[in-house]
Amino acid sequence: MAAKTPEQITDDLLRPMSGLSAPYVLSAAFLAGVVVAAGCAFFYQVYAGLGVSGLRTPVFWGFYITDFVFWIGLSHAGTLISAILRLANATWRRPVTRCAEVITVFALSIGATFPIIHLGRPWLAFWLFPYPSERGIWPNIRSPLLWDFFAINTYLISSVTFLLLPMLPDFALIRDRATGWKKKIYGALALGWTGTPKQWHRLETAMHVMAIAVIPVAVSVHSIVSWDFAMAPVPMWHSTIFAPYFVAGAIFSGIAALILAMALLRKFLHLEDYLLPVHFENLGKLLLVMSLLWFYFVFAERLTSWYGNESSEMAVFWTTQHGSYSTLFWLMVFCNFLIPFPILAIKKFRTITGTAIASFTVVVGMWLERFLIIVPSLSHKYLTYSWGTYRPTWVEITITAGTFCAMALLYMIFSKIVPIISIWELKAGLHLKPQAVRLVVRENEAGAD
Amino acid sequence: MPIPPVIYGLFPDPESAERGMNALNRAGVSPNRIVVMSSEPFDGYSFSKMDHATPMPWLAACGGAVGGTLGFLLARLTQEAYPIVTGGMPILAAWPTGIVTYELTMLGAVLTTIVTLLVTTKLPNWKSKLYDPEVSDGRILIGVLEPSDASRAEIENRLRGAGAVKVKATGVRP
Amino acid sequence: MAHQWSMVIDLDRCNGCEACVAACHAENNISTVGEEQAALSRAKHWIRVERYYEGEFPDVRVKFMPVFCQQCDAAPCEPVCPTFASYHTSEGLNGQVYNRCIGTRYCANACPYVVRYFNFFNPVWEKPLHLQLNPDVSVREVGVMEKCTFCVQRIKAGEIQAAAEKRELKDGEIQPACVQSCPTKAMVFGDLSDPESEASRLAALSRGTKLLGEVGTRPRVTYLQRDSWHGSENT
Repeated sequence: MAAKTPEQITDDLLRPMSGLSAPYVLSAAFLAGVVVAAGCAFFYQVYAGLGVSGLRTPVFWGFYITDFVFWIGLSHAGTLISAILRLANATWRRPVTRCAEVITVFALSIGATFPIIHLGRPWLAFWLFPYPSERGIWPNIRSPLLWDFFAINTYLISSVTFLLLPMLPDFALIRDRATGWKKKIYGALALGWTGTPKQWHRLETAMHVMAIAVIPVAVSVHSIVSWDFAMAPVPMWHSTIFAPYFVAGAIFSGIAALILAMALLRKFLHLEDYLLPVHFENLGKLLLVMSLLWFYFVFAERLTSWYGNESSEMAVFWTTQHGSYSTLFWLMVFCNFLIPFPILAIKKFRTITGTAIASFTVVVGMWLERFLIIVPSLSHKYLTYSWGTYRPTWVEITITAGTFCAMALLYMIFSKIVPIISIWELKAGLHLKPQAVRLVVRENEAGAD
Repeated sequence: MPIPPVIYGLFPDPESAERGMNALNRAGVSPNRIVVMSSEPFDGYSFSKMDHATPMPWLAACGGAVGGTLGFLLARLTQEAYPIVTGGMPILAAWPTGIVTYELTMLGAVLTTIVTLLVTTKLPNWKSKLYDPEVSDGRILIGVLEPSDASRAEIENRLRGAGAVKVKATGVRP
Repeated sequence: MAHQWSMVIDLDRCNGCEACVAACHAENNISTVGEEQAALSRAKHWIRVERYYEGEFPDVRVKFMPVFCQQCDAAPCEPVCPTFASYHTSEGLNGQVYNRCIGTRYCANACPYVVRYFNFFNPVWEKPLHLQLNPDVSVREVGVMEKCTFCVQRIKAGEIQAAAEKRELKDGEIQPACVQSCPTKAMVFGDLSDPESEASRLAALSRGTKLLGEVGTRPRVTYLQRDSWHGSENT
């Protein structure tokens, strides 16, 4: 990378934005097709009623809430990388920050659709918004769903701005090189950015303040999502461990999603000179730490339940260990720990391919984890006569598949509109290294000007 | 908005830009007439330090306090407006009120930061013509606003002497 | 003092005939969902009779337990509803306001008794069965939660009648449909704030237990049973 000039860097990072190849268009079309199918499935559900899903007494939440928690959890990628690494001044983060922030914004947007998708009367979803209604009534602040509303909206606004603000200088760069209508659009988006020291200083200060602000917001978001479960007296839901457990799980799935996204970008956008093995190494080590942390939380939760031996909790416990959900449970442990741990712990395997494989299994495992938190508990509540089962229908499966395709599609579109690696941040990072040398030289040269 | 009269040099790297900056300082040009533009922040070089300290973090904290107050009022006034008993909990339940207050505090801090950024940098400013697209190619622009006719030649010499690849001027009076 | 409605169910009298289930359907405009949907566990029996067996033939013991909304004093279904569709009335009932319900189904998950039911489809009464609809009770549309209300329409009608006649309500004057239909008189409905009422007297018996009392919901319904072999705590 040291051999590349700034012009080459700019060219490399703007190149993915130009041209539409046949594979790109075909994959985008396929993804869009699945998303449209998901949309149709949703409208069919609104028309016919939620009965077209697999939900039933007593499992009133299933795939949709699994997807909701999963996507909100995945959105913690950007926070960790951009905010925490920014604050810790980890220099290797620079090519990675925008990829991560984009995952956050899209995952959060997708996740935020599920509270509407899963409603019995989704056309009334706006009643969660506190507005002076003609009925004279306001939403119930005591409900964790209202906390979700405030938390997710706060996080969404924060993440979108955290993504957009550092895009201003890159929009200015594209504006200067573009012609015609492209120049007008990017010119508008760049807000007239010229790059004066005042603008840079204020921008960097704003990023710093927001990095500090967005971390507690992200922690609160997933704690509040976990409290959708922990606040209800359901066996194995009503546990104080849920908030930290979910936050750790969210960061875990977020890093995995980021590694996967980076691996795919590196391959398809030919960013081999920018997304280096060291990035995957470092993120892989973080993923390893989160895998261990995940294991620790699951172990602590299960040990406490098992030792406590409370009959309704044990019914749920055994159904995941030996019973009808045991296959999924052990698959989850396999995906979240048994596969990633050796890959990430052994340096020889902690390559780009290795970390990508580990990340893929983690994403699958974390989806399973959300499912296994929700459904076994709901199907085995206190009264044995009311125990039930759950099986998703094509409606839920299509909508779930649609969200994964929507994520990929949004990412593909984004990489055509905005450079996926923050050009100015990358270049600024290259200039920081000479500084230590420069200060020493200045002292020796005092008065030499 | 017409292009303001300015004479500037485009420097290929931060070291020469720094020399250019020092040359202008030694020529006695007052700092508020010096204009600098770059495609990267170049923290650590003196030409990038032309801004006073900003109270942005403090403003963000104030914004947070305002947001928190609004959040608390929202929780309190709405629940007391149409009081409904649920689950034996008080109408103004402390913990949920705390959560809503907290979220709106953070939102207040974030929004205040963004607004402060836009207001103090006077963005969006689509009308300003004071710019050179070569800045995006990596050049650092160091120049003097409204130079007097007499000093133009000297400024140009100093900029070239410091290592400017190009020197351009606008608003040259015939 | 406001009435505090409650019910007492004598499990030693209940024979599992399910007349209460049928009466509830008729009184409260609860549609049948059909064989396929019932197999998917979507039937909306506001009151259901749970059957528990113990022992091997010929020493089998069976217990029948009618389970319906316990109108809990600390109902977990109430704080979780974002639109206040589930709330607590001044007479100690858990009210379900169909118009406010947007169908998040959080209340159903929070209810430990699984006595809340969801309209997965629009309810259907094929003609001429629509003629049997009770005009005092609304018909709920798709996407709305519903549950036992202690026949609040009968309570309100009784209270309005008593007020119009400028007299107090008599104990036993108001009877929900299930209480009215029970052949063994296993179910009693009454006012706990009246110490002379039958419900108050029965609730104080030593045979009295609360279903899932240990969960902390403080249910209003008292179950009388000689031996507590379902595991529910005594009050």
